[in-house]
Amino acid sequence: MVTATADIREPFRWTGMGYAVPALLLLAFFFVLPVLALLLRSITEPELGLQNYAELFATSTYARVLFNTFLVAGVVTLFSLLLGFPVAWLLAIMPQRWARIVFAVILLSMWTNLLARTYAWMVLLQRTGVINKMLMATGLVSEPLPLVNNLTGVTIGMVYIMLPFIILPLHATLRAIDPAILNAAALCGAGRWQIFRRVLVPLSAPGAAAGALMVFVMSLGYFVTPSLLGGTANMMLAGMIAQLIQSLLNWGLGGAAAFILLTVTLAIYALQLRYFSGAAGTAGGR
Amino acid sequence: MLLSYDRLGGLRFGLWAITIAICLFLLLPVLFIAALSFGSSQWLVFPPPAWTWRWYGELFADPRWLAAAWTSLKVGALVTICSVVLGLLASFALVRGKFPGRLWLKALFLTPMVLPVVVFAVALYALFLRIGLSGTLIGFVIAHTILAFPFAVISITNALETFDKSIEDAAILCGASPWLAKWKVTLPAIRLGLFSAALFSFLISWDEVVVAIFMASPTLQTLPVRIWGALRQDLTPVIAAASTILVVLTLILMAVAGLVRKVFAK
Repeated sequence: MVTATADIREPFRWTGMGYAVPALLLLAFFFVLPVLALLLRSITEPELGLQNYAELFATSTYARVLFNTFLVAGVVTLFSLLLGFPVAWLLAIMPQRWARIVFAVILLSMWTNLLARTYAWMVLLQRTGVINKMLMATGLVSEPLPLVNNLTGVTIGMVYIMLPFIILPLHATLRAIDPAILNAAALCGAGRWQIFRRVLVPLSAPGAAAGALMVFVMSLGYFVTPSLLGGTANMMLAGMIAQLIQSLLNWGLGGAAAFILLTVTLAIYALQLRYFSGAAGTAGGR
Repeated sequence: MLLSYDRLGGLRFGLWAITIAICLFLLLPVLFIAALSFGSSQWLVFPPPAWTWRWYGELFADPRWLAAAWTSLKVGALVTICSVVLGLLASFALVRGKFPGRLWLKALFLTPMVLPVVVFAVALYALFLRIGLSGTLIGFVIAHTILAFPFAVISITNALETFDKSIEDAAILCGASPWLAKWKVTLPAIRLGLFSAALFSFLISWDEVVVAIFMASPTLQTLPVRIWGALRQDLTPVIAAASTILVVLTLILMAVAGLVRKVFAK
């Protein structure tokens, strides 16, 4: 808050800027500089040019990783949206005391360590795991399903992690809708299905889109869950970047892959800020 | 009618069924790890044939796990201090400051939150290899402070925006120096924001794994890095015990936070 007295006391044009300098220096040196240096290496190593980018798209292994990453992020977003919508809907209208319990469950899972949750899914989904045992006991399948070390495992684990990120913004949007609008539609003779499809869904679309974009972009950059549940044969983009740099020491190619991830991420966030500001994103992929 | 709980009719049961299923889906892994950590089966048979403290015993008998936990606590504490101090200063600039490019500065301060962590991790890894900070405690603290900083900025700017600056000005008019006025008037008034900033900063460092994998050396590891390393070898129940401890500490902190908020709000 800027008051008249502040203007008299400190007429300098850069008032207050000094306070930001320590953080600015830290970020400039340890955040902006290294990221730019990495991107520079993608066009200078092993020689100047765009050959690293050409290699990423031309080599079938790398192209497949890119395709898998976008595929999994898309499928995860779709499932999170389909499963999250009913929960957000009921959460927006259910009595307070129940809503508090559901919120507690959502927050508990969100605040549980990511590695711990992923470890749980590794054990639950393995061949001799609880899920397969239950499926066999009910006679639905005759032999264990391959649920881990493939993209199915990655998708299950990721949907689990992303659900809260879609339920919370969607819940906020649904709560803000005036029920009178739906009553008006009913008075005008619309049936339930028609009200749902032509009033409720369009009115909740901004929250759904904001949440879906956030989940999509977080899924693109996720490292831990895909690496552990997907196994080495089903790498995703973040895992590939880590491997190119840490194991193969290919800084040029790794930098190029990082630049692609960075560009897509920032582009989607810009889109989100431009069109759905208000329901802002929270966390980058882990 | 679709947004009225009492008039949902049959649909209400459908929505409840899905909600309960999703809640179980969200709860299942958390409860499952805790159960596994007390199960006697080395091969993670579930339900376990018997209950035991054995895995916690093995965990606490292994100096590598203890060293990792100690590193995590040290890094977390240092990150909390750095991130809150930097966040407080930066928030003064963002909320009170009047200079061109203020919104751009805020955008820059929040970027570490949206940038894919793996990109930041490999970029910082390259720099640290060059300047010799790889595998050091300072390296961990710098890396985690950058990740925690945006959350501190959000918590503290929110608190500072709702604080009426004229109260601080009144203290100055009554003879306090600008620093004393900030120390005695402003900081106590925004203590809830500072507390949230500290809590988030600690938890982000405590739970962070991606950057930590790149910063760690065989001799200096945080708890999540140790779990990560163990996970890539086998799925021993000791990991379940370590995970349970991670989760329990987080829950204790959240519970304390809830209490503190209640006390502060009075």
